[in-house]
Amino acid sequence: MALSLGVMSCGDDFLNVDSRETVEAQHRDETYEPEAFITGVYGMFTEWDYAFSFLGITEILSDNADKGSSLTDTGTDKHFLDDLTYNAGNAGSFHAMWTRWYKTIGRATLAIEYTENFGLTDQAYKNRLIGEARFIRALNYFYLVRGWGAVPLQHEDLVRRAPESEVYAFIEQDLLAAIDVLPLKGDYAAKDIGRATKGAAQGLLSKVYLYQGKHQQAADMAKAVIASGQYALEADYARIWREEGENGPESLFEFQARGESIAHGIQQYSQTQGARGTGGWGWGFNVPSENLLNAFLAENDSVRMNATIMFRGETLYDGREVNAGAENPMYNEKAYDSADPGGSDNGKNLRYLRLGEIYLILAEAANEQGNTAEALQALNTVRSRAKLPAFASSNQADIRTKIWNERRLELAFEHDRWSDLVRTRQAEAAMKANGKNFVPGKHYLFPVHTNQLIQTPGFEQNPGW
Amino acid sequence: MESVQHLKRYCRNALRPFLWAVIFCTSALWSSAAAQSGQVKGTVKDSGGEALIGASINVKGKTTGAMADVNGNFTLQAEPNDILVVSYVGYVSQEVPVNGRSLIDIVLLENPSLLEEVVVVGYGTAKKADLTGAISNIKTEEITKQPATSAMQSIQGKVAGATIIANEAPGSSPTVLIRGMGTALGGRNPLYVVDGMPVDNINNIHPNDIQSMDILKDASSASIYGLRAANGVIIVTTKKGKEGKTQITYDGYVGMKGVLNRVEMADAGQYIQYFNENLDNIANASQPWRLKENQANNTDWYNELLQKGHQMSHAVNLSGGSENVDFFVSYNNLTEEGILKGSKYQRNTLRNNNQYRFFKGRLKLNQTLNFTFTEAEPKSYGLFNDAYRQSPLVPVWYANGRAGRTVWNRTTGMVGYERNPGETVGNLNSIGNPVYSLLQQQELLNTNTLQGGFDAEVKITDYLKFNSRVGATRYGSKSRNFTNVRNNWLNADPTRTEAEFNALKEANPTTTAYANNTFSYSTSESFRWVWENFATFSKSSGKHNVEATAGFSREKVGIGSGINGTGYDVPDQEQYWNINLGTGAYQKLVNQTYYTPRSLASYFARAQYNFNSTYYLTATIRRDGSSVFKNSSEYWGTFPSVGAGWTVSNESFMQDSFLDYLKIRANWGKLGNQDIPLNVSQILTAAGSSNRNYVFGSGQELVFGAVYGTPAVDVSWEVTTETGIGADFALLKDRLSGSVDYYHKLNTNAILLVTPTYTSEYENNFYAHGAKVLNSGVELGLNWSDRSEIGLNYSIGVNYAYNKNTVKDVKPAYDGQTGGSLGNGQITKQLKEGYPIYAWWMYEANGVWQSQAELEDKNAVKVGNPRPGHLKYTDINGDSVMNNLDKIYFGSYLPTYTYGINLSVDYKNIDLSVYGYGVGGNKIYNGLKGTRIDGGENVPLDLFENRWHGAGTSTVHPGADRDSYASSYYLEPGGFFRINNITLGYTLNNLYSGSSKLRVYATAQNPLMFTKYTGFSPEIADNGDPSGTSGIELSAYPTTRNFIIGLNLQF
Repeated sequence: MALSLGVMSCGDDFLNVDSRETVEAQHRDETYEPEAFITGVYGMFTEWDYAFSFLGITEILSDNADKGSSLTDTGTDKHFLDDLTYNAGNAGSFHAMWTRWYKTIGRATLAIEYTENFGLTDQAYKNRLIGEARFIRALNYFYLVRGWGAVPLQHEDLVRRAPESEVYAFIEQDLLAAIDVLPLKGDYAAKDIGRATKGAAQGLLSKVYLYQGKHQQAADMAKAVIASGQYALEADYARIWREEGENGPESLFEFQARGESIAHGIQQYSQTQGARGTGGWGWGFNVPSENLLNAFLAENDSVRMNATIMFRGETLYDGREVNAGAENPMYNEKAYDSADPGGSDNGKNLRYLRLGEIYLILAEAANEQGNTAEALQALNTVRSRAKLPAFASSNQADIRTKIWNERRLELAFEHDRWSDLVRTRQAEAAMKANGKNFVPGKHYLFPVHTNQLIQTPGFEQNPGW
Repeated sequence: MESVQHLKRYCRNALRPFLWAVIFCTSALWSSAAAQSGQVKGTVKDSGGEALIGASINVKGKTTGAMADVNGNFTLQAEPNDILVVSYVGYVSQEVPVNGRSLIDIVLLENPSLLEEVVVVGYGTAKKADLTGAISNIKTEEITKQPATSAMQSIQGKVAGATIIANEAPGSSPTVLIRGMGTALGGRNPLYVVDGMPVDNINNIHPNDIQSMDILKDASSASIYGLRAANGVIIVTTKKGKEGKTQITYDGYVGMKGVLNRVEMADAGQYIQYFNENLDNIANASQPWRLKENQANNTDWYNELLQKGHQMSHAVNLSGGSENVDFFVSYNNLTEEGILKGSKYQRNTLRNNNQYRFFKGRLKLNQTLNFTFTEAEPKSYGLFNDAYRQSPLVPVWYANGRAGRTVWNRTTGMVGYERNPGETVGNLNSIGNPVYSLLQQQELLNTNTLQGGFDAEVKITDYLKFNSRVGATRYGSKSRNFTNVRNNWLNADPTRTEAEFNALKEANPTTTAYANNTFSYSTSESFRWVWENFATFSKSSGKHNVEATAGFSREKVGIGSGINGTGYDVPDQEQYWNINLGTGAYQKLVNQTYYTPRSLASYFARAQYNFNSTYYLTATIRRDGSSVFKNSSEYWGTFPSVGAGWTVSNESFMQDSFLDYLKIRANWGKLGNQDIPLNVSQILTAAGSSNRNYVFGSGQELVFGAVYGTPAVDVSWEVTTETGIGADFALLKDRLSGSVDYYHKLNTNAILLVTPTYTSEYENNFYAHGAKVLNSGVELGLNWSDRSEIGLNYSIGVNYAYNKNTVKDVKPAYDGQTGGSLGNGQITKQLKEGYPIYAWWMYEANGVWQSQAELEDKNAVKVGNPRPGHLKYTDINGDSVMNNLDKIYFGSYLPTYTYGINLSVDYKNIDLSVYGYGVGGNKIYNGLKGTRIDGGENVPLDLFENRWHGAGTSTVHPGADRDSYASSYYLEPGGFFRINNITLGYTLNNLYSGSSKLRVYATAQNPLMFTKYTGFSPEIADNGDPSGTSGIELSAYPTTRNFIIGLNLQF
């Protein structure tokens, strides 16, 4: 008996094998510095969802973009999105981004906890890391609240949908904290370019305020960015999305990508939107609509039109010809990567926030407060770069309309149009003009996907879905 | 070193008997030439050399006869050209031509009848008559009659309760399910035990080296292997030498393979019609173009892609034994060229099994050793998919030598890339050129497996023996892959030029998209060992017979590491394909990792008692530990079982019964499964492009990050409780025999891979107990064998198995996990309580939209914006919205019943056998037919002919313009009956000695199949994962038909 017990305990030692392929959670402190977990939070921006589902629920939905591709290639649910025939169960793109954003928030929260408890002695460094994660967490909650309105705050409850105001409060809290601790863009070492900056947090916060109608604060934050001296508009609008424009003077925040070996890009972002068919390099999704083309033409805005739209048969700035036999008449040029247009890991950075938009936020916020002069000055700063005549008016409503249209043209294909249409309540008219049946009270919010409803029964659906 | 000594030893031992045999044979020939008289003398013995007292020897067609005496000797009168018929109870009768000899020694082989059959039961053997469980025994002849790469394929249809789903790609092995699919995750496969050593598969063993296979189906038999026994245990015993009998045998065959059930595709004209109808129906003003008739090409892509496969096998073995040593040596070669041009598989195996006896047999040392080398040039099965879909209008090659592509001139309506200014071109579809792709696949895969064991058996007393054995397997693989990036770029578009590529390369010197080529090399090795010790007590006293076994084992598997590297711009010549010969312009990639091993520890005991071979009782207990349950440290599980048997026919009241034999068996037991990865909370990282890494800095350097894995949830052994009853019987003078079994097998706590709450912080799926899986069914086997007056032996056997699979008690949060992705965003399966595991779950197609008016009806419930000719789907919940909640259950890909029929006849020197196998009750998703992306993919002829093409033309089949939602329309009956094998053989006996013979045979494998399924193969296992594409034909290897001729030579 004693012998057999002896053998038994030997057995337990024998059975306690070491993990060799992956690091056991219990060894994380000895193995990883907090910065590794912060990097993991950023890593989410390179996920494939941003190359397909994201296009669907930011642009294809809107009047700026059509599904594109061949008529019969639906992109799983992109035809539903384009036609506004999506519902809670047929459009996986909503589910993909919903999950992606929550998982990113989760990574940020876990990274923050880790950084706080790790025992870093350099307080400024520690605070910076936490600030970076809080910025990304805020950015992701902002995506969620814009799309679905009231959403669960992960740290509170996974099912209960916190009111929109609480979500916005949490976002503001994160961004304000980030602003306090993040360095200026110019204060980062060269090796740290691409990290969240004070300016990025201020810029995002000004947009967050704008969405809540907090115009004074929005204007203040926008002005803080402009006054920081860290940013300047690119002289040539088209340069912003080219390789040489990456992380340029106008850039507040970009999703970083590397095209050289070992390459690591936003998975297939350029490929899904590349020219399709003969001589093409991509799948041809998310293409400029005729409606957008007409908007450019109506404004005589050839600078931004040519930087945004890649026409079939056109010879591009780098000498590459978009074959006249391509499937679709127009493609999104802002997603084009000259070096490796169809590569899944190419060097295309996604421009998330830039000074051009900050000027437009300032213009809108100022106009809403009646500061016409300040509004027009900011608006015309953007227009003049696009080689358009200065706009003059003293009518608040006219200026508002002009700013909204300016946002459309300036920020086309920067994944902002649908949210802007919803925010400004232009959506119903705009979508109707685009031949789509927009139902107010329903389409203002995304449906919660049935996957979530099945997984957590009792999860509240948005009205109309 | 050790193996070299073995080799020397067996050479010494092998050559000596061989020389003796040659001398013996020569002298036998000499003496037969001298014989003239009518008196014939001889002996009758069994294969072990024991005299068969009372064996009868008769002269065929005459009344003369004799009986063997106490020494097995006989004497009778016979003419030189007479034939002697020798028979003995329990042995196979033999006809021996006198051939003018006066001295004839006859060896009779034992008849493997129901009662005397010996089966291997795990840590011992037993007579089949003594079993209380359900064990199927398969002998070597059964295996070699159906030549295949893996012996598991050979036994398809021969064992009731073993569902074997074939995969006929070169070098592949079938998916095996014993008594149903009992688990959702890993550990679906049965446990293989080769000569006492647990292993994952038997792909490294040539079927000719297998002596027998025993399939432990029930709990009381399998629970001695409690560890991993829940999916059944397959015990493989390889051949051994036998004392006193030196033999050389050669078995060889050659075969030719072709696709059995080739799907007829639409030809060029039909394709054009279908293509244009699609555009007509879409009626989009921006797409006015149509294809013209009479195009240049009518490519049959399957003709271009496929070839006649070839198959060849040689197996030579040498066996024998002397007083103290038995030996068996074999060399086998199997070569196969698959039906995809250029696909190859070759396997060489070398085996040496020896037994050494010391101290008058009190100490026995058994040694097995097997080397296997394989070399394969695999080709992607995705090419079958491409060949199916690619348009017949596309040429294989253009005149300029470039690969044919799908470009067509939309202005002229002609396929080709010629375009005048002002004309537009387009693509028919986005499918590649399968012939070009095939030529570009330059993968080479080598593996080597060294497997061996050593078993020492000490007979301590007459009734107590002790065994200690060690076994080990070392597996190594290396593969290389070359991708000609430049060629691929040029061949993607016939108008591209080298100069353009060079310009891009120069402009983007660090972008691997413009490297001339990519070369990758990977190698891995793994090792496993097992050490087992057990004692066996066996004693009979009067009518009481007791046998007891107890022991322990230690096992460690998955010890090893792998490394792979990728380089760019290596020289184009194959001889210089080295990463080191690549240019330095691109950063080389290296990945290396050690694997996390798994440890298993066990204690086991079994007691068997029978009274007078009539009342039987077996009890087994096993306590097992597995290292995977690290999170809880609850490593251990206990698995008891009991079995009882009653040989009713031994009772006095049965003596006058029509039954010759009847035994009733009952058993109950618990079985374990632990096949999940190490369950412990982890930090997740990745090398290279991954969402765990990011790019920072002005130089955009790749920085590796880390991520919290989902915390591990405590899990423990999956415990399967199985209850079974059964009976074995024989009647009509043993001519009709059979068995019947019922089982109820419940996996009480199946481990599921669970998705964390979508709104939570955790990403990766985790393991948790979450459901029960019930398999219950019946198995029936019947065999009739007889011998007619004229010497015709024949037997007919049938087996049938029914299994019902049900998932029960699913934790609500885990119910409805999805699976069966078609790769286009559509899913087809769900795990749901009350239904079979990962059963079909999709829209119900219920007709075709006939007109725009019908679509515009305000009550029409639609998916998206369909057009006339699209399928209609049922709004199951009646809420007027079509979504996931409208998907319903449509059965399972798993068959509910399988059956096998076999017939064999032999008459004089001729033998004929026919085997058939069938399954039913399942459904197969024809993903080839269903999933389309561009509308320009080719379609099978039936779909073309049946299509909707205008109101009223069809209310079932969709038009050329159709959607790609997964629906019941593409779900087809998966049942089939196939003649697996027809073999006709002819045997020449006594080539130059009594035991030498030559058999030649011809075999047709899969000559006929009856099925309603319209794809290439209703047997689609994929990797066996129920949540994957099992049962979905997308890129499956077709079922093949094989014609073989072969010979067996023994001397």
